[in-house]
Amino acid sequence: MSERRATLRRLSCSNGASHCSRLLEGTAASRERRKRKGLSAVRREEAGSMAAVVLSEPEKLYIVHGVQEDLRVDGRGCEDYRCAEVETDVVSNTSGSARVKLGNTDILVGVKAEMGTPKIEKPDEGYLEFCVDCSANATPEFEGRGGEELGTEITSTFYTVFSSENSVDLKSLCINPREHCWVLYVDVLLLVCGGNLFDAISIAVKAALFNTRIPKVRVLEDEEGSKEIELSDDPYDCIRLNVENVPLIVTLSKIGYRHVVDATLEEEACSLASLLVSVTSKGALTSIKKVGRGSLDPESIFEMMETGKKVGKALHVALQKILDEEESLGTSRQKVGFLG
Amino acid sequence: MPVDHRRLCGPEESHAPALWAAEEGGDESPRDPWALRPLFARAAVLSQADGSAYVELSGGTKVLCAAWGPREAPEPPTAAAAAAALRMGRLQCDFRRAPFASRGARRRPGSTAERDAERDLAAALRTALEPTLQLERYPRTRLLVSVLLLQDEGSVLAAAISAGALALADSGVQMYDLAVGCALCRGPDPSAAWVLQPGEAEERRAAVRLTVALLPALNQVSAVQGAGSGGTPEDWAEALCFGLDACYRLYPVLRQSLLQATCRRRRAM
Repeated sequence: MSERRATLRRLSCSNGASHCSRLLEGTAASRERRKRKGLSAVRREEAGSMAAVVLSEPEKLYIVHGVQEDLRVDGRGCEDYRCAEVETDVVSNTSGSARVKLGNTDILVGVKAEMGTPKIEKPDEGYLEFCVDCSANATPEFEGRGGEELGTEITSTFYTVFSSENSVDLKSLCINPREHCWVLYVDVLLLVCGGNLFDAISIAVKAALFNTRIPKVRVLEDEEGSKEIELSDDPYDCIRLNVENVPLIVTLSKIGYRHVVDATLEEEACSLASLLVSVTSKGALTSIKKVGRGSLDPESIFEMMETGKKVGKALHVALQKILDEEESLGTSRQKVGFLG
Repeated sequence: MPVDHRRLCGPEESHAPALWAAEEGGDESPRDPWALRPLFARAAVLSQADGSAYVELSGGTKVLCAAWGPREAPEPPTAAAAAAALRMGRLQCDFRRAPFASRGARRRPGSTAERDAERDLAAALRTALEPTLQLERYPRTRLLVSVLLLQDEGSVLAAAISAGALALADSGVQMYDLAVGCALCRGPDPSAAWVLQPGEAEERRAAVRLTVALLPALNQVSAVQGAGSGGTPEDWAEALCFGLDACYRLYPVLRQSLLQATCRRRRAM
């Protein structure tokens, strides 16, 4: 029994609690000091912009202990994702759409291609516009302007992730340099927030872009120099995007001394800081970002990046397999939609 | 073809010529990658704010920051937020760019693009500064940090983080440590080395950009924000180490400026 209590104490301090040693993950002296604070020390909750769950102290301890032993509340290891369901082509009024269910998290992404003018700095490229809608369906905290902060955070993260030159071949979206290009409006709806929003959204965005079909157009020029855009008669005559280089985001949440991928809401409540990394299918990291209230040890950032690369690569393979499978079924596929 | 001679027929829309201007100074002499641009920091510069700081990088980036100590927070909208407010204070960050801060055309202060950019910077500033504060000592209150960017010549976020931490320390709230920010970037050339505290032109040309913030006394990283063409984890780790080392070298400058501010204050008393 006494041994059990000793472990309890040791792990409780790793969740980071006492005032001045929260930020430390090191020195023996501070560990001693934290030990003495014991159980009562865990008094934190990540209530940031995400939908917050309220956990009692023992519940948090239970989660932290589990993570320490590489066994999480739902039976997963630290580097395992929850079971994800992906379905593309779910909304008929879009150019491409996808719905992703990752555990409880439920995301719907629609891509609409519209014609616009290229940006002045990049006259021969189209561009992507992201819009994240945090509706009050997901959690009552998003009512009114509540979800705005989270919405802008997600939007700006995705602009950064897609700012890398070769994520999507933007040149293929150009119709007529300086005059016309395709603008892809990527609209993200959060239907249910069940933790790990960023990863789920990035999977959904990639799936939706894979599913996107942009009608083929031709530019005709008459002798006076006036141009006309002609749409192909065949509705199946369309261009597809190459999504091979579209990165996926992997969120690594620091819990205690370890980090986990794909944290649930409860686990997010136990984590003070997480690292977002965007990983391409080849395993290159195109962006990193720390989020959350806490700080991280440099060593743990290195470890998290390694894990992110490994997990991200596996995730890409799994997603591509699902997408190809669905593609091969063609029109014979039975659509599940929203009632499945 | 009838032509209206009465007025000058220009094109319907016009753009700033800077866009088409030849890239100037493309072949600068390569910088010593270890070299830091001289940094000037001064705390307690504004008399009306609880705490304030001014940080300037020798390239020209100028940042003015004010901090207001714990003040009453408005009623939280939801029960969960209210429970959180009971436990700890909130840090609120505000980032403004002066309309004349950057090169080229004047940016309209209220425009959507400008507001979005400012909001992103404010959010980044908040994540970087929150770990430095002992917020649980200030329940039901908010701390306010307001940054005004006077001139943008690169490494803006890093300068703002350093200035924000200085201003908070100067306002006398309880902190764990100062946060020191440092930016670095790498050119598109595959053999290019990482450069510390890049200027505006270097930042624009860079293939990879990274901003780090460090709490030097605790050896904790409070902000990492990087993006660019892909790299292996080892590449990023190397860059991170490089940036953190620079933060350690900048730390004494900030400490010195705090010390000087305190001395000035005592003399004035």
